[in-house]
Amino acid sequence: MLEGLVYPESLSLSYADMSVPERLKGMQQHQQIEVLSQSSNDSPELLQILQFHGSNNDELLQSTFSHFQMLESGFGTKYNMDFGPSHEAMDGCISRTSSCQIDPADTMGVMLKNSVESRAISLKNKRKSEVKTREEEKTDKKIKVEAETESNINNKEASSDTSKETSKGDSEIQKLDYIHVRARRGQATDRHSLAERARREKISKKMKYLQDLVPGCNTITGKAGVLDEIINYVQSLKRQVEFLSMKLAVLNPELELAVEDLSVNQFQAYFTNFPVVIASKPSVMVDLPLFPLDQQGSLDLSVINPNQTSIDAPSASWETQSHSLFASVLR
Amino acid sequence: MQPTSSMNKEFLKKWQMGLQIFRPSIDNTSVSERKRAIKLSADVAMASLRKGTTCWSRALIQKTASEDNFLVRQMLSGIKEETLINKKLPKVMCHRKIVRRSKKILMRRKSRSAMEEVAAKAKKLVKRKTQGLRNAVPGGEFMSNNVLLIQETLDYIVSLQTQVNVMRSIVDAAAAGIER
Repeated sequence: MLEGLVYPESLSLSYADMSVPERLKGMQQHQQIEVLSQSSNDSPELLQILQFHGSNNDELLQSTFSHFQMLESGFGTKYNMDFGPSHEAMDGCISRTSSCQIDPADTMGVMLKNSVESRAISLKNKRKSEVKTREEEKTDKKIKVEAETESNINNKEASSDTSKETSKGDSEIQKLDYIHVRARRGQATDRHSLAERARREKISKKMKYLQDLVPGCNTITGKAGVLDEIINYVQSLKRQVEFLSMKLAVLNPELELAVEDLSVNQFQAYFTNFPVVIASKPSVMVDLPLFPLDQQGSLDLSVINPNQTSIDAPSASWETQSHSLFASVLR
Repeated sequence: MQPTSSMNKEFLKKWQMGLQIFRPSIDNTSVSERKRAIKLSADVAMASLRKGTTCWSRALIQKTASEDNFLVRQMLSGIKEETLINKKLPKVMCHRKIVRRSKKILMRRKSRSAMEEVAAKAKKLVKRKTQGLRNAVPGGEFMSNNVLLIQETLDYIVSLQTQVNVMRSIVDAAAAGIER
């Protein structure tokens, strides 16, 4: 049986530099703890989930519920191996042990690799993990699961540590990006499963970003629920656009946008600190009086245009009003 | 990633440009005409910010082009005009009844353990939701895989947020002006 960890993310340079025998040696001598840096607000959740993973080692991994894993699956797999969970959270970083050593007399007879990986701070746009499947005789088989391009990729590290890949990886980091996946203990290691697993990792990573973006999604654990929330959010945003355009059409019969003649500094002030649109909340600027929609164009709309068309002579009160508006935005 | 102020500004500029096109024909006395003008120009502005790199932006531009070709051509007076308007991915048409029937037959043959059933139901649910997401995101039907779909929704949500933020602030400014 072959074992390994799944790392969807990048390698560190130290890992890249080590050759195969060095790595073996390192593994035999000591266990290294790698630091996985995450955004700080994730760490309490991740700690929980680490423990969760640690307790559910193989069943969880092998069950069909792996569909619902929202985390990078490589997380907790090694925890119940030959050593206890030895991780520490440091300032929003989560460390995970990367490997363990298996006694050669073990029936599986597998040597696990000890990999030293350190992660860049941002999870985004990083796509490197290595495929290593190892047999008993420690031959090294690399499986390039996917080559993928990303337009806004942000690679920092050298791609590989063996001669097979170096030339390709280094020169074409921007264009050709191999997804390296390591098989975990108790999982099939043929190419298709690895490819599928890599795909699933990617999807769950992206879903995590979506969860951060959509308000109120952090509490939901299942894919279906999160997708549901996302759909509702998108539809509510669309409805807001409709509603706002209707409101603007009512308010503004000349289709003139107020900002176009504002001076530059007002413009700047206007757009700093825009809060995130939250579907459930009403209009952000709650201290402004609401304009009743049923008031029709017969109102003194002519007031707007002279104020808006010339910066030279805006009426003082309009400016103070808009300044208070900006102030509330800047809050 | 939250909408940045530069994105807001760019959106506003493009939107204003779009509204300028409508301004000559200002005898859109009906509210619905004006609303349509506002919404369409806002949508094209939002989509053109991505400059054709994302699938949803292309699909959105195509959709508005079907409603108001003139506006789109004027707003995107640049190079990408033709490519954006004509590009389309092939859409796989499935006869749903036939697919459903064959799926039922397949399900009958398979062995049914408890855990498998639950998993199958869960998968079905997720599939249904992703289909719903495809309907929500413009051009979702053309995204062949789920990874792309989720990437696109991410981008789409951010752009929608900028759009809503800018529109809301404009509306509030106008409201404040009227209140006075």
